[in-house]
Amino acid sequence: MAAEGIIFNIQSFSVQDGPGIRTTVFFKGCNLRCAWCHNPESWKFEPQIQFYPEKCIGCGNCFSVCPNGVHVAAEEHILRRENCTACGRCADECYAGALALTGRRMTAEELFRRIQVDQPYYQKSGGGVTFSGGECMMQPDFLAELLHLCREAGIQTAVDTAGHCPWEKLERMLSDADLFLYDLKAYSPALHKKLTGVENGQILSNFEKLLEYGARVIVRIPCIPGANWEEIPQLADYLAGKPVELVELLAYHKLGEGKRKALDMAIESFTVPSKADMQEMTDLFESKGIPVRCSGV
Amino acid sequence: MEERIVVSDAYRARIRSMHDTKVKLNKEKLAAYGGSIDIDDHGFIYFDGFTFQPDYPDESGVLYGCRAIGQNLRRFLNEIPVYIHPDSALTGAWAGVFQNFANIGLRPEDRPVQFAELHKKYGITQSGIGGMNHLGPDMTIGFRDGLPGLLEKVRWYRQFNAPADTDFYDGEEAVVLGMMEYTARHRDYARELAEKETDPFRRANYEKMADVNDALLNRPPRTFREACQFLAIFQSVDRTYYAGGALGQLDELLRPFYEKDVKDGVLTDEEAVWMIASLFYNDTHYSQIGGQLPDGSRGLTSHVSFLILEAAHLLHIPYNLAVRVYEDESCDPLLRRAVEYILEDGSGPSFSLSEGIETGYTRQGHPRELARMRAKVGCNWVALPGIEYPLQDVTRLNLAWAFLYALDEVMESGNPNLDDLWTHFLAHMKIMVNCIKDGYDWHYEVVSRNTPEVVLNLFCHGPIERGVNSASGGVDIINLNVDGIALATVADSFAAIEQRVVREKKLTWQEMYEAVKSNFEGKENIRLMLKNIPRFGNPDSLANNWALKIRDSYVAEVLSSKTPKHHLTVIPGMFSHGDVFAYGKRLPATPNGRKYGDPISHSAEPDPGFAQGLVSFSPTLKANAVASVQPGMGNSAPLHLDIDVDMLQRAGGADTLCTLIHVHNQMGGTLLNLNCVTKEQIRQAHADPDSQPDLVVRVTGYSAFFASLSKEYRQQVVDRYLSDEK
Repeated sequence: MAAEGIIFNIQSFSVQDGPGIRTTVFFKGCNLRCAWCHNPESWKFEPQIQFYPEKCIGCGNCFSVCPNGVHVAAEEHILRRENCTACGRCADECYAGALALTGRRMTAEELFRRIQVDQPYYQKSGGGVTFSGGECMMQPDFLAELLHLCREAGIQTAVDTAGHCPWEKLERMLSDADLFLYDLKAYSPALHKKLTGVENGQILSNFEKLLEYGARVIVRIPCIPGANWEEIPQLADYLAGKPVELVELLAYHKLGEGKRKALDMAIESFTVPSKADMQEMTDLFESKGIPVRCSGV
Repeated sequence: MEERIVVSDAYRARIRSMHDTKVKLNKEKLAAYGGSIDIDDHGFIYFDGFTFQPDYPDESGVLYGCRAIGQNLRRFLNEIPVYIHPDSALTGAWAGVFQNFANIGLRPEDRPVQFAELHKKYGITQSGIGGMNHLGPDMTIGFRDGLPGLLEKVRWYRQFNAPADTDFYDGEEAVVLGMMEYTARHRDYARELAEKETDPFRRANYEKMADVNDALLNRPPRTFREACQFLAIFQSVDRTYYAGGALGQLDELLRPFYEKDVKDGVLTDEEAVWMIASLFYNDTHYSQIGGQLPDGSRGLTSHVSFLILEAAHLLHIPYNLAVRVYEDESCDPLLRRAVEYILEDGSGPSFSLSEGIETGYTRQGHPRELARMRAKVGCNWVALPGIEYPLQDVTRLNLAWAFLYALDEVMESGNPNLDDLWTHFLAHMKIMVNCIKDGYDWHYEVVSRNTPEVVLNLFCHGPIERGVNSASGGVDIINLNVDGIALATVADSFAAIEQRVVREKKLTWQEMYEAVKSNFEGKENIRLMLKNIPRFGNPDSLANNWALKIRDSYVAEVLSSKTPKHHLTVIPGMFSHGDVFAYGKRLPATPNGRKYGDPISHSAEPDPGFAQGLVSFSPTLKANAVASVQPGMGNSAPLHLDIDVDMLQRAGGADTLCTLIHVHNQMGGTLLNLNCVTKEQIRQAHADPDSQPDLVVRVTGYSAFFASLSKEYRQQVVDRYLSDEK
C-alpha cells in the first residue's frame, strides 16, 4: 500500500474534534460548498496559493519567479488565479509570508509517522486522531490506509464527514474507524441544496445505515442564524430516539472570512448566534432526550 | 476526589483583606521602584523613609565576613519597622533585601578581576562567582531545635570545635540573636495592638500572636500556628539576606503539627487555611507539595497539601508553589485540584516533573531514593533540603556569542563552510564553559570568607556541626550548575545557513554575512528569508537536528571535566530566567533573522511563532520540542505554556491539562509553568496594566502581578499567548 493524499493542515492538541487530546488532519478537497465554510482552502483537491496582502513587503520576488504571469502589479498586487498552476515558486520566494501554498501531498505512511508522535497524549486522554477536511471521504484509499495504520498502532480514530458519498465508501471505513463525527447541516433537501450545493438524501440515508451498523456517531450541527437556524428544530425531531452518542451544536463564527479573502473568494457573512440563542437550542434538544453539547460561544 | 475545603465567609474576608492590601502595597512599591519589578513578586513591605547605616569592618566600605554580616544583619533586624497585618494570623514582614541597605559583597582583593576580559568578550554577566542562596534549607532542623535550640547549637559547637578563628560561629550566633530579637519585637508589638484593639476577634488574634511569638522565643514550635509563625520568621530573615527563597516540602513540614492539633481539637481546616494564606502573604518563598516517599512506596499528598492549595487559591496573589508530578494514580487528585484552580484563577502552582528531575539526578551518580527527595524550591531549580549546594540559576552562558565569534572566524578564513563553523562554535563554547569552571573554583575559595550563607547554614545538615559555610563543604553534596542559553537562537541560525546558503544556495555566505553584520539594514528580504525557515520545534526541521546537536555537545562539554583546581562537580542546565531581553540587548544580529538587541530564545524553548506551514502551533508541539532537548542531568529546563482558556472551555479542560502535564513528565520534561487566561484578557492587560491590577501570571518559574512587570517582560508573556498568530 502506498496511498497518497493531499492535506492542508495538521493540528495537534485539538480538543474540539472528538474526545480527549487529538490531532486533527485536514484533508483537502470537498464535494460540498457550504456558504459559511470556515475552511475554504479545503474545497479544491489541488494546492492553492493564499495571499495575505497585509504581510507583503513589495520585494517583487513573486513577479520575477512566476512562469505564468499570475502576479500583476496594478494599483495593488493582484493575482490572475486563472493562470495559476499552484507550482508554489512564488510562495517559496515569499519570505514575508504573504504568499503561502496550501495543500501538500503526503503518503499515508509519512502522515502516520507525523501523527504518531503524539500517541502518548492520545493514550493518556482517551483521544486520538480525527480525519477532517474538506471531506476526508473524498480520498478513500488514503483515509482507509491511515485508519488501518492507526488501528494497528492502537491509536483511536474519528472520521469527520458530511456523509455525501456512496455508502460503499463509508462501509469500507467501518472496520477501522472508531468514531464518526457526522455533520448534519439542514433537514429539508431544498434548504440543504441551497446552503451546500447538494441535497441531503444520500447523507441521511448513510447516517441511518451507520446507526444500523452500530457505529459510534457524534452528530455535529452548525448553528447559523439566517441560514439553517430555522430547520434545526426539525433536525432535533429527526434525531430524537436515534442511538447517537452525542449531538454537538456548533455556533457559527467568522474565522473563515480572512481565509476566503486570501483566496479571493466572495465573503458571505452570517449572524453569530448569541449565547442565549444557543442555550435555547440546546434546551430544545435536551427536552427531546437527546444528549447534546453546545460549543463555540 | 478530595472535597474542596469549606471556608466560612469570615475567614474568606480575612484572606481577601490580605489580598487587597497586597494589591495596594504593590502599587506603592511600583511607584518607589520606577514603575516595574521584573523579579519575583516578593512580599516585602516598602517602608518609605527607612534607612540603615552599616558598620563596615574596614576602610574598603564593603560589608563582608560572617561576623560582620551577622552583626549588621542583627542590627538591621532590630531597626526595620515592625509590621502586623490586622487580618493575618502571623506577625512580621521584611523590608527589602539587605544589600539595598549595605554594600555587601566580595572584598576588593577577592573580586574576580582575572576573568573580566573573558566575561566581557562573551557577555557573561552571571558567572556564578558570589552566587548566593541557591540551596534549599531543611526546615525540620528549625522545627526540631527552635530558635533557642539553634542558639544553643551554635554556641555548643563553637566551644566544642574551638576553631582558631570564631568568625563563622560569631556571625551565626548574631543571626540567631537577630531572629530572636525580631521575634520579641513583634511579640511586644502584638501585645501593644491587642491593648488598643476593640474588635473582639482581632484583639484575641493579637494576643494569640504575642503568645505564639513568646513561645517561639523559649522553645521549638509545637502547634500548627507556631510552625507557620516560625516559617514566617525564617522566610522574612532569609529573604532579607540575598533574597533567599526556599522553604521545602511544605505539606510534609506542616503535617505533623496539623494532625496533632486536629487530634487535640484545637485547629479547624479553615483556621489552617487562613494561617497558610498568612504565610503566603508574608512572602513568596518557593515550596513544593506532593511527591513520593524516598522509596517510592507512597505518595506524600495529604489533606495538608489541599489546605495549602486552597490557601493559595483564596489569597490569589503571586505565590511560588510547585506540585510534584509523577506517574502513579496517587499523584492525580492533587494535580487535578491544582489544574482546576489554574483554570479558575488564570495561574497557580507550577509543576515539577519527577521523571526528568529524578532520572537526571541518578545520572549524576545519586540513588533514585535521594532523587525523590529533591524539592522544587527555586525559580527553576530543585535541591535536596539541607544537604545539597547546587547553585542552579546563577550562571548564564549565552551561546549565541560563541556562534557569532565562530561565524566571524570562518568568514575571515575565506573558505566558510558548516563543518568549520561548527568546530569554531565548539571551541568558543569550550572557552565559555571553562571560564565558568575556573570561576567556580574562585567562588569556592572566596565566597565563604566574604558572603557566607549566614541564614541557610543554620537550617542545613553540617555547617554548624563542622563550622564550615555550606558553599565550602558545609553540606555533603556540591554540584554546581552551568546554564547554557539561547539554544533556539543558535539552532535556528545554523539551520538558516544550512538551508538558505548551503542547500538552496539562495544566498552566498558573503551575502548572508554582510546582511547579518549590517543588522539587516536595507536587507529585510534576506532577514525574512533567514527567519522563515522551519525553526526549532517544527517537526522534521533542520533546526531540530541542530538543537539536539548543540544540546549534546554542551552537555558533554560541561561534564567533560570537573573544575580544574578543586575538582568540584559541574552540571549542565538550560535556564535563561526571564532575562532573554537583557541577554539580547547587547547581542549583535544573528542569522536566524534576529536583529541587534532583540531578545534571545528562552531556556530550552522554541521561539514564539516557530510553527509554520503545514503544522499549526499547539501546546503539544512546543512541549515535545522542550522535552527533546532537556540537558538531562536533573536540573530543570522549563516549558511555559500559556493556554487560551477559550480553547478549554468545554468540560474536560482540567483533564486535558492533566494529560498534557503527565505526558510532558513521561517524555522527560522537568518543569511546566502554566497560565490560562483568555487572549483578550492578556491583550487588554498589556495595553492597560492598571485595568487588571490583580492579574497574576507565571513569568517563568516565579509568578508576579502582570501589572508589576516592565513592558518587555509583559511582552514575553503576550508573545507566548499569541504564538499561534505570529
